[in-house]
Amino acid sequence: MIPACLLVDLPRGEAYRLDIDPPVSVFHTDDGEVFAIDDTCTHQDASLADGWLEGCEVECPLHASKFDLRTGAVDAPPAKRPVRTHEVLVQDGMIYVVPSTDAPNLPPCVAARLASGPA
Amino acid sequence: MTSTSLPDSLIATLPGSSYTDPDLFAQEQERIFETMWFCAVRSSELAKPGAFRTVDVGRESILITRARDNSIRAYFNVCRHRGAKLCTEETGEVKRAFQCPYHAWTYDLNGKLVAAPNLTKMPDVGRTEFGLVSVAVREWLGYVWVNLAENPPSFDEDVISEVVTRLGDVELLEHYDIDHLSVGRRIVYDVKANWKLIIENFMECYHCATIHPELTEVLPEFADGYAAQYYVGHGAEFGEEVQGFTVDGSEGLDRIPGVSEDQDRRYYAITIKPQVFINLVPDHVIFHRMYPVAVDRTIVECDWLYLPHVVESGKDVSRSVELFDRVNRQDFEACERTQPGMSSRMYAKGGVLVPSEHHIGTFHDWVNERLGISQG
Repeated sequence: MIPACLLVDLPRGEAYRLDIDPPVSVFHTDDGEVFAIDDTCTHQDASLADGWLEGCEVECPLHASKFDLRTGAVDAPPAKRPVRTHEVLVQDGMIYVVPSTDAPNLPPCVAARLASGPA
Repeated sequence: MTSTSLPDSLIATLPGSSYTDPDLFAQEQERIFETMWFCAVRSSELAKPGAFRTVDVGRESILITRARDNSIRAYFNVCRHRGAKLCTEETGEVKRAFQCPYHAWTYDLNGKLVAAPNLTKMPDVGRTEFGLVSVAVREWLGYVWVNLAENPPSFDEDVISEVVTRLGDVELLEHYDIDHLSVGRRIVYDVKANWKLIIENFMECYHCATIHPELTEVLPEFADGYAAQYYVGHGAEFGEEVQGFTVDGSEGLDRIPGVSEDQDRRYYAITIKPQVFINLVPDHVIFHRMYPVAVDRTIVECDWLYLPHVVESGKDVSRSVELFDRVNRQDFEACERTQPGMSSRMYAKGGVLVPSEHHIGTFHDWVNERLGISQG
């Protein structure tokens, strides 16, 4: 369980980017719900916390892929693969994230692949 | 004939090359249009946040938009990453952000860099530091004025004082409540002539009786050849039989309430250097902006502004628009007829100004002064 930020510091409609590897973003929806998903768009390396939150959906700021905050599913292309969702707890006003143990769907990252040698 | 041998009645114009030399035009772009306040767009064109227009000011493309807080913002229309033109359309609306079509660098309406591929892996890239570069903005008379200078001159000294010089005071202009008038018609003219020929034409009325039969009918004193602009604060009086400022002298639209009795049935004209020309008549205002695009080409955007209810109710403004539309076409045709002569061998040293045009000489002195050309 990783502490993210205080609920009072995260106004509705905004997102907080948790700088872990891979990063996770926490969204506070206009309806007052809090969700956590992988921060990185599965299409190209962009931060979804910098994207546009509408209802229970976030739109990637780069190419307008949309992800459902509840399921991580792709609602609009060009992204094809879902992001992971993470469990969120709020205790004593603090938001905690329980990172998923599933393998993340990260966008292609040639540099990392080269660094780790031939696949 | 040299300028020193001119009879007293005549003074010299600028040399022909002043209207044809691309290098000189580039200097004018730099020292006049990229330095002075430039009237760019009507504020009402940017009706809501995200609405934008792009305008060429001097050699620069400028992006003008309305931010979330409803303030008007202007930026160099150039991506901070690799310099691609950010917005290629002349007008449009974005929902939330401007995105470069090349690498998707994305800027919010306040110009801040909000997203870019791999941006989170470059935490040392400041989002304001690498945001869009702002241009000074001022709203006045319902128009957005921009200034590209690094240290913009005072708007009041640069622009408003010009009105005071022309009209005697700025109140005379305020009576027309130009901020709150509505655009009843816009006509854009593509004029194949140097911008100075258009300004000079606007400044004199020696040509009026020859090329403007309808205008001279409505404003008989124009046949005398002295433009309203020759005298400070002078409004040309409508002819006795004339009911309104229309193509046939028929009745105009509802009079603007602030127009005083002594301004009624009169026509005033002001040039605000370097690119605005305004006509004031009791029921409407005609607002011209010139956009010099090449040494021999100028786009002129002209708005006919009426009381909001006149426009909303769909009243017929066509006779009113047609008068000055004809005047404009007659003027621009004359300017286009003049442009080729500017490169004639015969006109290398320029032409002459008659007494009713002598005030154009002060415009020429002003241009030379801006360009740092010594008078002679």
